[in-house]
Amino acid sequence: MPMIDQSAGKTGGAPEGVRPRDRLALLTADNAAVPLPAGVQAITAILLAGLLIALPWLGLGYRFLSIAITTLYTAIGLYGLGLQFGQAGIMSVGHAALMGVGAYASAILSVQLGLGFWTSLPFAMALSAIVGGVIGLPTLRVGGQHYIIITFCFCALFVIVLTNGGTFTGSATGLDVGSVTPLPGINFDKLSNNYYLVLAALFLALAATYLIGISRYGRTLRAIRENEQLARSVGINVDLHKLGVLMVSGLFAGLAGVLQLYYLRHISPTLFGAFPSLYLALMVMLGGARYLYGPLIGAIIVNFLPEVLNLEPVDARIAYGICLLLVILLLPGGVGAGIKNIYLAIRGGLETQGGGSNGRA
Amino acid sequence: MAALEVRGLRKQFGGVVALNGIDLDIDTDRVVGIVGPNGSGKTTLFNVVAGVHPATGGTVRWQGQDITNIGAHRIARKRLVRTFQQAMSFPGLTVDENVRIAWEQGRRDDSRWASPGMILDFVGLAPLGRAIAGSLPFGSLRRLGLAVALGVSPELLLLDEPGAGLNDSEAQAFAAVIAQLPPQGIGVCLIDHDMDMMADLCDRLVVLDFGTKIAEGPPGEVLSDPKVREVYLGPDKKAAAS
Repeated sequence: MPMIDQSAGKTGGAPEGVRPRDRLALLTADNAAVPLPAGVQAITAILLAGLLIALPWLGLGYRFLSIAITTLYTAIGLYGLGLQFGQAGIMSVGHAALMGVGAYASAILSVQLGLGFWTSLPFAMALSAIVGGVIGLPTLRVGGQHYIIITFCFCALFVIVLTNGGTFTGSATGLDVGSVTPLPGINFDKLSNNYYLVLAALFLALAATYLIGISRYGRTLRAIRENEQLARSVGINVDLHKLGVLMVSGLFAGLAGVLQLYYLRHISPTLFGAFPSLYLALMVMLGGARYLYGPLIGAIIVNFLPEVLNLEPVDARIAYGICLLLVILLLPGGVGAGIKNIYLAIRGGLETQGGGSNGRA
Repeated sequence: MAALEVRGLRKQFGGVVALNGIDLDIDTDRVVGIVGPNGSGKTTLFNVVAGVHPATGGTVRWQGQDITNIGAHRIARKRLVRTFQQAMSFPGLTVDENVRIAWEQGRRDDSRWASPGMILDFVGLAPLGRAIAGSLPFGSLRRLGLAVALGVSPELLLLDEPGAGLNDSEAQAFAAVIAQLPPQGIGVCLIDHDMDMMADLCDRLVVLDFGTKIAEGPPGEVLSDPKVREVYLGPDKKAAAS
């Protein structure tokens, strides 16, 4: 938590006569709690939704659309991680394993029982939620870094179990599934249709995240993040809510995992191991876990960076490392925080020029 | 029967006996002060009563129910609420949101506060609603701590050194706010070292020393008690020498 020396009542807008040093403080400030005007929120949402819906028609090619699909289902998983880390303050570096629980549950239901995408989805999401809650049990005893190590161990364990699961899990080779059961008139073998399926799920995840953020439930989670002891003393059942949010996070992860499975049509243990988990943690930190569009921004950066800069996988890892360092040093709240702070600074500047104030103390 | 009945309360941290059999009755229509030297067990008493630490022995009854060791959040839900010695808030959230969180946990049928804004008005923080709690000056943070506690609709408030770190005028203003609580049906039990303020504010004083209650009664009586004077001022050297 950056300690910003602000006098009471200032909430990030640029005050009169800022010195250059304070300009950096404006950028690094944590203004996640500052509400944005409803109009700005609505315009952002409409523009973003329009862009994402129009994407397959922009003629950017098959490869671009494939990366876009990967980005979107990853972002769905990240919204779960954003909820548990950004709102409730519980980080995990084993989140890919939770997506893997959903993916493998769906794949096994398909191979063993012949269940399709739609019928296996609720089971897979429920199982991810339950596993999320079970791995969450240690949070009642340990917090912070200690819990992060536990999530990492779970991730490693999960890969070992999958690799040694014989024909049931397909061992190291993994499992194959068919395509998504077509809806009337919509065949998901077509890439753009698969894109829209994942996009619809992303919109659901975004809507759920937004609604949780403005609800009493979201405030309860933030109270736990900010001050566990005080949260207890105002009557919040901290233990129950910690497990609860990890289960909700598991729901998102399960959904993401099943979408990943039916996009790739083939899954293997390495997809859900340590590296993918660390990438998820990286994305959520890069984008900004406390911001509505932070996880999506993080997913876009990490998935498109090697493509845009034409990097080899090893070079990409170095680039990610540099990105992470830059974000930690310059934008502790993530890129999402940076964008919001720039907006607040511009608006604050305009107010100062006009000599007016919008009633904020 | 008093609203809060503490009987034979004991708390041990390893070999250290922090509370050694405390008996205490507190009603919700007045201000009760708890005083004593550093390390006498005042804060531990609050922590054990409010369920932050489990009791080693003894019972705490609140409105006739045994609440010993049922957990801090359940005790708060029964409208027995404590504040903390270090001014405690949810630092990364706005002042509005801090109070709203507590208010949403409290009972909505509380006729005193129809909205979180009314609590901010009451403690005098209304103009700072959109400020981030962590950026507040200390005096305002103290008021916020009280506002958060009031949000839970308490019937009894345990205030741990509400005046600590405030200058004289701030402390007086704060005492004035506290004095308004009992007439509204919010009992107050507070710990503080400022004896003048405590004598003014409290209807009754309880003195602790080494985890034991050594005196209890109206402030004037208690503060002139020789045992209490000895604890605070040390043994009378002249009397000991002669």
